[in-house]
Amino acid sequence: MWFVRFVTSSIGKKLVMAATGLLLFLFLLTHAAGNATIFMSSAVFQDYADELHSHPLIVLVFSSALLAVLLVHIGVGLYLFYENRAVSNNRYVVSKRVVKNSLASATMPYTGLFVLLFLVIHIFGFTFSPKDVPISSTVRDMLSNFFYALFYITAFIALTFHLSHGLWSMLQTFGVNHPRYELFIARLSLVLPLFFFLIFGGIAFYFMTGLGANY
Amino acid sequence: MSSSINLTLKIWRQPHSDALGSLETYTLDHISTDMSFLEMLDVLNEKLTKEGKDPVAFDHDCREGICGMCGAIVDGVAHGPEKEVTLCQLHMRHFKSGDTLVIEPFRSRAFPIKKDLLIDRSALDRIIQSGGYVSVNTGGTPDGNSIPIPAKQAELAMDAAACIGCGACVASCPNGAAMLFTSAKISQLALLPQGQVEGKERALAMVAQMDSEGFGNCTNARECEAVCPKGISIRNIARLNREYLTAVLSEG
Amino acid sequence: MELNARVPAGPLAEKWDNHRFANKLVNPANRRKYRAIVVGTGLAGASAAATLAEQGYQVQVFCIQDSPRRAHSIAAQGGINAAKSYQNDGDSVFRLFYDTIKGGDFRAREANVYRLAQVSNEIIDQCVAQGVPFAREYGGTLANRSFGGAQVSRTFYARGQTGQQLLLGAYGALSRQIKAGRVAMFTRREMMDVVLVDGRARGITSRNIITGEMESHVADVVILATGGYGNVYFLSTNAMASNVTAAWRAYRCGAGFANPSFVQIHPTCIPVHGDYQSKLTLMSESLRNDGRVWVPKNQGDLRKPADIPEAERDYYLENKYPSFGNLVPRDVASRNAKEQCDLGKGVGSTGLAVYLDFADAISRDGRETIFKKYGNLFQMYEKITDSNPMVEPMMIYPAVHYTMGGLWVDYDLMTTIPGLFAIGECNFSDHGANRLGASALMQGLADGYFIIATAVANYLGTNKLEQINEHAAPFLDSRRGCEDRIARLLKNSGGGPAGKCTVDEIHKELGRLMWDNCGMARNATDLQAALEELPKIGKKFWDHVYIPGNTREINQSLERAGRVADFLEFAEIMIRDALTREESCGCHLREESQTEEGEAKRDDANYSHVSVWEHGGDGAPKLHKEPLSFEFVTPSQRSYK
Ligand SMILES: Cc1cc2nc3c(=O)[nH]c(=O)nc-3n(C[C@H](O)[C@H](O)[C@H](O)COP(=O)(O)OP(=O)(O)OC[C@H]3O[C@@H](n4cnc5c(N)ncnc54)[C@H](O)[C@@H]3O)c2cc1C
Ligand code: HEM
Ligand code: HEM
Ligand code: SF4
Ligand code: F3S
Ligand code: FES
Repeated sequence: MWFVRFVTSSIGKKLVMAATGLLLFLFLLTHAAGNATIFMSSAVFQDYADELHSHPLIVLVFSSALLAVLLVHIGVGLYLFYENRAVSNNRYVVSKRVVKNSLASATMPYTGLFVLLFLVIHIFGFTFSPKDVPISSTVRDMLSNFFYALFYITAFIALTFHLSHGLWSMLQTFGVNHPRYELFIARLSLVLPLFFFLIFGGIAFYFMTGLGANY
Repeated sequence: MSSSINLTLKIWRQPHSDALGSLETYTLDHISTDMSFLEMLDVLNEKLTKEGKDPVAFDHDCREGICGMCGAIVDGVAHGPEKEVTLCQLHMRHFKSGDTLVIEPFRSRAFPIKKDLLIDRSALDRIIQSGGYVSVNTGGTPDGNSIPIPAKQAELAMDAAACIGCGACVASCPNGAAMLFTSAKISQLALLPQGQVEGKERALAMVAQMDSEGFGNCTNARECEAVCPKGISIRNIARLNREYLTAVLSEG
Repeated sequence: MELNARVPAGPLAEKWDNHRFANKLVNPANRRKYRAIVVGTGLAGASAAATLAEQGYQVQVFCIQDSPRRAHSIAAQGGINAAKSYQNDGDSVFRLFYDTIKGGDFRAREANVYRLAQVSNEIIDQCVAQGVPFAREYGGTLANRSFGGAQVSRTFYARGQTGQQLLLGAYGALSRQIKAGRVAMFTRREMMDVVLVDGRARGITSRNIITGEMESHVADVVILATGGYGNVYFLSTNAMASNVTAAWRAYRCGAGFANPSFVQIHPTCIPVHGDYQSKLTLMSESLRNDGRVWVPKNQGDLRKPADIPEAERDYYLENKYPSFGNLVPRDVASRNAKEQCDLGKGVGSTGLAVYLDFADAISRDGRETIFKKYGNLFQMYEKITDSNPMVEPMMIYPAVHYTMGGLWVDYDLMTTIPGLFAIGECNFSDHGANRLGASALMQGLADGYFIIATAVANYLGTNKLEQINEHAAPFLDSRRGCEDRIARLLKNSGGGPAGKCTVDEIHKELGRLMWDNCGMARNATDLQAALEELPKIGKKFWDHVYIPGNTREINQSLERAGRVADFLEFAEIMIRDALTREESCGCHLREESQTEEGEAKRDDANYSHVSVWEHGGDGAPKLHKEPLSFEFVTPSQRSYK
């Protein structure tokens, strides 16, 4: 079947990574927008959450789709990681990376895995939080824990790294690489991840430092 | 200008494909800085021969950076530390007296080592055989000027066509991927009207062959571009991805 | 040895068409029953192999390198000629023919050269169809430049990498046939011998460079496309593996070798800088369009070029040849550089270089313009020499570049051995005593794409060949002969290297002898001396050469030794050829035959012929002559004053 042949080819796998990466990225955009309401007030945030949960079907469909996408992204990502390690492990006695700033690209699987760890903890903490406590309180309570918030921030750093290579890489995989837009894309894949970091990190920082104590 | 330096070389020695290899250490004195890297190896080989030892086997032919036959990893970098040169174009003036150089063969699962620094890169030829050409027979072709090609397009095609098939991209890619090579070859034809007719089959066939040779998957690490002696850009990889995607969606 | 060129009758322009019509064909259904061996995958070999396979023959192809696309043709920079007359500047098939004949100083066969000019246009069409990225004008049409002193712009080019792009095109066509199963490709093989059965070429013996194994390959025709032999001089612009072995082995089996002493020496190469040097790099001839050649007026002037005042510089080309100046043909430029250095006016650490100065061009046209024109060449020069031609004049010196001599072939490119063909640089056919720039690529592809298939069909159509296999006695004998030769090469290698010499040492010694005595300018005394010296080097080689390792593994010293052994034998007919041709023509300057002004003087009454050498067994080689007659052009004396 053409589809199987496609997804098992090297470029196919790559395109799957890019497509799922794009969807995850889009989710992050909405998630960031929704969560940013925290800065307005607990009421706005709670309204937003309640509104969301008043459409259980939509939430279910979206969550399952997101889970599927995430699983595919992680699955294929780890498979690639495994396959490539088999090719390249300890090839040279001396080996040097020539590309500057290759840290992000070299650590994709590790930053990805760290984000996975974060997600597990995150979802257990928030999605499966006791249904009787308003979500806005859960968020505040949990993030007011210094170490919990610190872990969040660390995870966001990893995410920022992951995305700084991921965004550029996704576009390259989709075939978007043109001298005219090179600088723009380079800036975008720095600015957007930092933007996420500011929002998500800002929230964690907000509670962690007690700034959001009376939100 | 010209002066001479003393070097310590650690060179990968491996008698044949199935043997275990290891690094051997040699010292070389009074190497003129005007020598090319391969001439330095010649001097070493003359010395080894005179000592009754086996000279280091390495591939080379044109010695002017165009045949793509030479290549080794010098201190962890394919074709050595200079940008956009092949090993035969690297000159000893870029090294200092007292330096220790580690010289290893290009490695990849698809490039078996035959002896010392000499490897088998025929996998790249098989990628071309699977479709890296326009299928025209000799004779009966239309007048050259009947196919106008914008000068800029011809230049872009030439940029891609400049690949010398040395395999440094594969050797330095952390995943051992042959994407830069394959994309350069596909790009050249994808950029020209002559290549359009078979464009889709070509992309599918060449990628399939590349995958079956045991090259790794590209994760956009960009190392290939950085060591390529001909400055082949990863923009070609983006083009290949595009070509492949449209080919798969319509013909795959 | 019978030298029948079999030139078709009729008017010049119709010979090729008549010949194609008169030739026998092979029925398409029968072609797959025939097998052709092609040795070499340069422009000539790759194009021939692809074309024959397309027509349905079974083809076996051999090359030394690990990939067919690495053949030395890949290094050609400048371009390829064709008589397209796209520039509307008065070019025509006849003009290309005339320029080539005249450029070769009237020592080539008219009919062959005319055919070359005729098919030149088809070559361009073929290459464009293959996707060769030739340079284009802004309107999308093919661009041309003028090259090698031609008065018309007929050279097609792909940046400075024309040979590479043409070869990749032919390699693509070859790859397609490999995929289709009609070509069996044997890489890393060195042809060691031609195998004759009943006086016909029926196969080859080759050595597998990886395993050392001797292999026999049987075929109905054998086509040699093994390139030039410039490496007899050790230092040349040729690739390291370029050699004479295949042609020499054919010669030893009875093929005539034509004009072996015709060697082209290119004036603009980067000078030698040390005795470890392995290779000379060509700088494009186009540099002479703007660079001025000079040396100091005084011998042994060691000042920096900038410190030498204008009055103490000798712009010798401009002074001697006022109308052509720095743009005199390759041979004239080369000879004059040597002359200046012989007078002790050479520059650089070795005294074997002259300046090529861009200072005037820079002050006239501005830095930017000059850099735009030559920037990449300047960078290439700087990479090698560490000196920037925008600041300091370039240093250049002539180097061996191309060999016009080669296996003698008739109009059908067949050697004197039936069934053995020679194409590309390894034959002698089209360039006479001197090759024009951008004509070698044209000839290689003309031979391979458009001529050889007709010739092969005619040969197979007119001859009935016996079925044989590789167990036949001639194949066994040949294999044994090759193995014995390798054993002889290795016989000194027991007992360690003490007191012995390396292959390269001998090769360098041979190279120096040839360069000094049979190089740019030749005279009877030196040639005679070289003829006496040569056997001594040969003896030293066979008695003292030390080759580490054995024959059952990759052994690069052994590979080189085999080639040097053949160069040592071959050098003899080169020297003899130079000695017997007591005239100057093209690149061959006999000091005894010069005009009062010191220019080359041809002697048409006595030397209007091709000199063809036949192997004399243990005796001296025998000289035969193919007379050249000029029906369509009148030989004239070249003058560049
Ligand atoms: C630096 C340089 C620049 C040049 N620039 C130009 C130019 O601009 N324009 C132009 O027209 N010409 C140019 N020339 C000349 C031109 O490149 C050559 O004459 C031409 O390419 C020769 O092609 P060929 O096919 O005959 O042989 P080659 O390309 O030399 O191929 C020889 C083949 O034979 C094989 N071979 C040799 N011996 C054996 C053996 N014993 N067994 C098995 N295989 C063997 C080799 O592996 C190789 O595949 C240039 C030459 C040089 C050196
Ligand atoms: C401080 C920053 C963040 C806050 C405050 C936050 C808050 C929340 C909340 C409240 C939920 C539960 C939603 C619900 O079930 O009603 C949730 C779910 C989720 N969050 Fe976050 N989040 C943050 C950062 C992130 C990050 C960086 C990611 C991804 C890397 C992420 C991924 C998810 C996922 C996958 C879910 C589950 C979605 C679903 O069930 O559909 N979150 N988040
Ligand atoms: C949860 C665990 C995750 C793992 C294990 C993981 C792993 C990976 C891996 C291995 C790659 C390929 C690396 C490469 O091409 O160099 C990748 C790419 C990418 N990831 Fe993730 N990732 C994870 C989560 C995420 C999340 C949460 C997002 C976004 C919100 C994301 C976005 C991307 C993007 C955009 C790419 C680029 C796709 C491409 O290379 O074309 N990833 N990931
Ligand atoms: S792309 Fe560059 S590094 Fe790779 S084979 Fe071609 S020339 Fe060599
Ligand atoms: S280094 Fe390798 S990962 Fe891709 S961009 Fe180049 S092939
Ligand atoms: S030897 Fe040809 S590229 Fe280096």
